[in-house]
Amino acid sequence: MSLTFLFRTITKDLAKVSFRQHVQSLHTGCHLLAAEKALLMKMRKNTGYTFMNCKKALEKFDNDMAQAETWLNEQALKEGWSKANKLEGRKAKEGLIGLFIGDKAAVMVEVNCETDFVSRNEKFQQLVKEVTFAAFAFHRNKTQSQAGYVKSVLVGDELNKLSFGEGASLSDQVALTIGRLGENMSVRRAVMVGVPAEWNIGSYVHGGVSGQTEVAMGRYGALVVFQGGEEGKREFLGRKLGQHVVGEAPVSLGNMDDLPCGESETRLLPQTFLGDPSTTVAQFLNGHQARVLDFVRFQCGETTSEEAK
Amino acid sequence: MASLVGLRACFSALQLTSPSLWHSSLKLCVVPVSRRTFAAEVKKTYSRDKPHLNIGTIGHVDHGKTTLTAAITKVLAESGGANFKSYADIDSAPEEKARGITINASHVEYSTANRHYAHTDCPGHADYIKNMITGTAQMDGCILVVAGTDGLMPQTREHILLARQIGVEHVVVFINKADAVDDKEMLELVEIEIRELLTEFGYDGDSSPVVIGSALCALEDREPELGVNAVMSLLDVVDSYIPMPKRELDKPFLLPIESTCLIPGRGTVVTGTMERGVVKKGDDCEFLGYNRSFRSVVTGVEMFHKSLDRAEAGDNLGALIRGLKREDVRRGMVMCKPGSIQPHKKIKAKVYILSKEEGGRHKPFVTNFVPVMFSLTWNMACRVTIAEDKEMVMPGEDTYLVLTLRHAMVLETGQRFTLRDGNKTIGTGLVTEILKFTDADEYTWG
Ligand SMILES: Nc1nc2c(ncn2[C@@H]2O[C@H](COP(=O)(O)OP(=O)(O)O)[C@@H](O)[C@H]2O)c(=O)[nH]1
Repeated sequence: MSLTFLFRTITKDLAKVSFRQHVQSLHTGCHLLAAEKALLMKMRKNTGYTFMNCKKALEKFDNDMAQAETWLNEQALKEGWSKANKLEGRKAKEGLIGLFIGDKAAVMVEVNCETDFVSRNEKFQQLVKEVTFAAFAFHRNKTQSQAGYVKSVLVGDELNKLSFGEGASLSDQVALTIGRLGENMSVRRAVMVGVPAEWNIGSYVHGGVSGQTEVAMGRYGALVVFQGGEEGKREFLGRKLGQHVVGEAPVSLGNMDDLPCGESETRLLPQTFLGDPSTTVAQFLNGHQARVLDFVRFQCGETTSEEAK
Repeated sequence: MASLVGLRACFSALQLTSPSLWHSSLKLCVVPVSRRTFAAEVKKTYSRDKPHLNIGTIGHVDHGKTTLTAAITKVLAESGGANFKSYADIDSAPEEKARGITINASHVEYSTANRHYAHTDCPGHADYIKNMITGTAQMDGCILVVAGTDGLMPQTREHILLARQIGVEHVVVFINKADAVDDKEMLELVEIEIRELLTEFGYDGDSSPVVIGSALCALEDREPELGVNAVMSLLDVVDSYIPMPKRELDKPFLLPIESTCLIPGRGTVVTGTMERGVVKKGDDCEFLGYNRSFRSVVTGVEMFHKSLDRAEAGDNLGALIRGLKREDVRRGMVMCKPGSIQPHKKIKAKVYILSKEEGGRHKPFVTNFVPVMFSLTWNMACRVTIAEDKEMVMPGEDTYLVLTLRHAMVLETGQRFTLRDGNKTIGTGLVTEILKFTDADEYTWG
């Protein structure tokens, strides 16, 4: 619900509401006063909670908006958890990959929901952003003292327990969003990498969500850790490599002097380079005096090899 | 006047000739329907006694779309307009294949007193888009289901946006679960919100019909006011608010040419399956395609080896054309009502690219990829330009593409086509816009 839009039209509604009320009062015994109704509309617009809950809250606090809102926010977590428990086990294969690149560090997460309608909604995208930042913060704290290449993967409970400020956990935040959007959701996995000063991280997100600027989001994401590359061209290089990884889905790195084995090649380095089919990835890297050390690819909803076992 | 006389002469001449000659040659040149890209399914639609519409339900999971669909069949089963489908029958949302594409959708059919409906429900945005592209259930209208208990959900915006994207002009709202809302004024507030949102997305929110009721009550025979009666008034509203789409028969005729043959002593016959409209003996016609265009007159229509006065959309026919030489036409050209359609070289289209599992490509493609486009009975190489600030297109996704054809072919908005690469079908699309072909485009073909 677009709050701003609703807010703009509130005066118009007021007129409508009071008109309808005359008609209604003939057959509904107890009806809300126009003023109360307007308040209720406003509450719903400000908070987004259901009319029923807004009404309950306003009654409870004698139309004190501020108190009612605080109470609603407290209720929301409880309701979110009860909804989350109810929906648990329902298939959640849609969703988004979120990717954030910091200074010599990057994170990539997958958050799932049930339908692609929800993954297109900004409230869900907000959650993906929060999850991405929570994972990034965790990584920063943990690796402050480490200097070399660090890569860590979090799944399931470890991820859900990540702190989300003021005693809340990431799973609380997920439950809140479940309460709001009414679909089962889960934070499936996160990968975090940190590299030494002279290394680089390239990235690419595909099937992108427009309007999200800080955290890139889409159906596919890739991180590529590499060395070298000409000054000023590294971002481009990293992006091209990331795009290749998303498109060609290599499963292992291979060696620079591996011989390509045709269309079904699954090692990155001997694969035909997506951006220029006349070379292999290894040849492309040689041309740029660069070397790939590692890569990660996420595809939303894919069955990972650990799960398949 | 002179031409009329000429026409008559042609008619009588046609009748006078031994029918067997004209029939036996036709037998040889009518191409099996299966060779056509998109034939046959059209005809089925017209053979029903009531006018047919496609509708669908859209709404948040759990707001009661399946329950409502079951309730509709239950209510209409009483008047013989449907076979009752229980919740369990519908809920399965099976995977179906349309043009090789996997779509999750459940379909139910029913008839009101006035119309026959095919009702589709899909779980996801992508499924509705695939439906639109493949044309399996191009929706003429939809029912937006919103539970009165929850009211609008944040993603209701995405539901309405989808309806817009797939070209649904008319939305009817059903506020469900009214039985679970004690305070009826809450339902009014929900209604106000929905109307506002519809207006925000360019629908006529103020006059869109909104029906309040309970699908579950209708299904369980409780509270008839909210149950059965609400479902009936929903159906009335759907009958009256969603207009009939323009029937294919009412459109100017179009015959994609499958083959031609020469009937000694009579002239050249073109054969194919009527895409739309009605063609009669004596109609003026125009031939287009492969950089050729010329006009003539239909002097005979024949179908199922019988000479007829007219042939209509979906019919497999042969048409005898005055003064036509066999080398003037070839498969891939069209015969149409003069001036009704034009050849074009550059279009924008919404395209679904088949996934590996669907037999499509294994790898993404980038701009300048050159597949072959198949539409009606023609095929032509085309160059892909990826629209939508994307850099590549992955198998299994839908996208907008700009396609530039090597030669202009008959194309119009709403026309369907497939893309092939080698012997593999890699995508299916729907023309959304005809673009102007500029000198710069000429250059790209080198
Ligand atoms: N109280 C009440 N519950 C309903 C009503 N309609 C559907 N439900 C319940 O809502 C749930 C979801 O309904 P369903 O038809 O599966 O929703 P869908 O996901 O939109 O297809 C089921 O448990 C239904 O029994 C109704 O009118 N009133």
